[in-house]
Amino acid sequence: MQRVVVTGLGTVSSIGIGVDEFREGLRSGRSGISPIASFDTTGFPHVHGGEVPDFVPEKLLRRLRPHEWGRASQFAASAARLAVEDANLADGDVAPERAGTVMGTTSGESQVVEALTAEQVNAGLPGMSAGLLRQVPASRLANSVSAELGFAGESMTVATACSASNYALGYAYDLIATGEADVMVAGGADAVCRWAHAGFYRLGALTERVCSPFDQDRSGILTGEGGVALVLESMEHALARGVRPHAEMLGYGLNCDANHMVSPDADSIAACMVRAHTNAGITPADVDYISAHGTGTPANDLMEAQAVLQVFGDTPPPMSSIKSMLGHTMGAASGFGAVASTLAITEGFLPPTMNWSTPDPDMSGIDPVPNTARSTTVNVAQNNGFAFGGNNAIILLGAVT
Amino acid sequence: MTVLAISGWGVLSAAGPGTDPLAALLAGPEPTPPTSSVEAPPKGTPAGLGTEGDQPPGLESIPVTGLDVRQRLGRKGTGFLDRATALALVACDQALEHGGVVVDDSCRDRVGVVLGTTQGSLRSTMDYSRETLVQDRPYLVNPALFPNTVMNCAAGQTAIRYGLKGINTTLAGGRLAFLQALRYAQNALRRGYADTLLVGATEELTDQTAWSMRLSHPDADTLAVGEGAALFVVSNAAVGTDPLPHAEVLSVVHGYAPDGAVETGLGGCVRRGLAAAQVDASEVDLLVTGEVGNERRETAAATTALGDEPARVLRVKDVLGELQAATGALQLAAVLGLQGGSEGDGRCAVITGCDADGGVAAAVVRRWRRDGATGG
Repeated sequence: MQRVVVTGLGTVSSIGIGVDEFREGLRSGRSGISPIASFDTTGFPHVHGGEVPDFVPEKLLRRLRPHEWGRASQFAASAARLAVEDANLADGDVAPERAGTVMGTTSGESQVVEALTAEQVNAGLPGMSAGLLRQVPASRLANSVSAELGFAGESMTVATACSASNYALGYAYDLIATGEADVMVAGGADAVCRWAHAGFYRLGALTERVCSPFDQDRSGILTGEGGVALVLESMEHALARGVRPHAEMLGYGLNCDANHMVSPDADSIAACMVRAHTNAGITPADVDYISAHGTGTPANDLMEAQAVLQVFGDTPPPMSSIKSMLGHTMGAASGFGAVASTLAITEGFLPPTMNWSTPDPDMSGIDPVPNTARSTTVNVAQNNGFAFGGNNAIILLGAVT
Repeated sequence: MTVLAISGWGVLSAAGPGTDPLAALLAGPEPTPPTSSVEAPPKGTPAGLGTEGDQPPGLESIPVTGLDVRQRLGRKGTGFLDRATALALVACDQALEHGGVVVDDSCRDRVGVVLGTTQGSLRSTMDYSRETLVQDRPYLVNPALFPNTVMNCAAGQTAIRYGLKGINTTLAGGRLAFLQALRYAQNALRRGYADTLLVGATEELTDQTAWSMRLSHPDADTLAVGEGAALFVVSNAAVGTDPLPHAEVLSVVHGYAPDGAVETGLGGCVRRGLAAAQVDASEVDLLVTGEVGNERRETAAATTALGDEPARVLRVKDVLGELQAATGALQLAAVLGLQGGSEGDGRCAVITGCDADGGVAAAVVRRWRRDGATGG
């Protein structure tokens, strides 16, 4: 088994493009929430979200022609480009067939589908444009990265909704650990869209302006967007090209609630944590920080807290939710969590849960790192991801020893 | 290389249920599509195509007929299914039965699902998006239908119905989705994450997919468009299976041709697949491609890699139409259906796939002749 390290981080997020801006955003508790501009919010009771307003793919991409790709693919490829730059990985540093891509997503090219729907409303199904239809397949998220980076290894898009980035990181980890690849770029991407905004609103899961995970009065998510990518690499390969790894990926765990499409299940989440710990060869006592799924809905946070207390006992490690800053970036969410966990390890700080004011008596024992980043040493971080369909995925990252 | 043992399956195609009708259609001297027509589905079964007037002109449609969700699955939990999910659930039901898989508390966290898709149910998503534009208020969508817009709907519903608490993964690979699912399953079994996996893919044929193909497919003028689903009961051959496997997937290789050199990339997959499987090209007597219409590049790439054209080259889409995510699953179904011939026992087949961007994949499958192999 090869040791697997994180050598590059790439973020296209509402709190910053590029890992430096992202890190400072996390440290200062910056809010990425603004009035939604990418679709007409007229008639929606709630109109705020976590968009990436300053995203100009032309500035970031070297090979792709952005207009040929949907927004989610642009996010994915741009984050991947940033990640390989952070990893100092140039063309030729890895054999193309030994390098691959795994990207996660919830809704794929949702804005492309919505543009096609608008064409249908105007002119029926025959009114859809061919150029947009060719951009629909979600496989293009991974393929955009492979094309941008010139990778010839596996190119997979994992569509396991809001834990998809963790799935992507898990599969990429295995390919390197088993020696089937030297470098993998893994992460996720999603774009804000009307139908998800409407759907979450009708589920009663959408809050108005402020996402406040783990607060007693939390009232839901804000829909967000972005792209995130991590460069995973075998330790051997990283050292051979003289790169100092940010962190080591220790392992991961997956399972399925098999219970309900949208309601989380604490016992199942706890079982997933145990799987992840076993796979990583650690015990709960080794974990210094949990990057929570922490959507900010009453049910999700409660289930997550119960699962953590079940596995870690009465005094679990601090657990914060960066969704309080980014909103819920769907398929990218656990990828941003993985970057935050990596930064917690390298920079020695815990990102805060913003907008927190009132403890929830049903979650006593949970330390959400309220409102201010905290300096501390993190040797092992756990990054949680849960999803519609009961798709739980948890990864573990550690300091390089 | 971890070998995948296939000990059961559920197959739904326009040819009919199971692998034999598909094999029979392909085995004819001139492969022809089944005679099927657009039918109003029975109550409780999600419709595919609408009325004939809504169909794109000049596009032949080859839907799955005879699907009766309530008859197979009952009323409970089937009220809001989209067609892609319904096809997957029925195929899973048949696969579990055919493979003799009993899921109970002793094993359910070791049984999982790996399912391929293109974009989930395109109809569900487009209809949902449409509601936000045409309703009096944009949020007046049906919350019960929201999960249908998410691409892991079919895999999640499959897990719920059969209590499968193991790994549950959806791969949005389009035409490569099934081969990617096999590859993903191979890793999961190698790493010991599951004992049994239901590996498959599903694709629905609706007005939305029909028009999408008609307006954007390179071969749109001569295209037929279809649908289908197939799930296979897969385990690690090294662990052994009971009953004995009908076939073994010896290797799966997936890659990307970033320079657009798909034939070179796919040829590399076939060569690496044979090497990993420790199979000589002379053992391969069957090639089943995912080509449609005028495409010939998979056959060309595989023939070059094998050194010679195999004894038989079959194209499932000649009889089933463009299948998108269901492509590879029905290629494997065709291989399994053709195993009844005595010349097939112990011989190998190669399955190939490629997508519009540059994705390529190939699998090497060894067939075993078993009595009672017809399946669901």
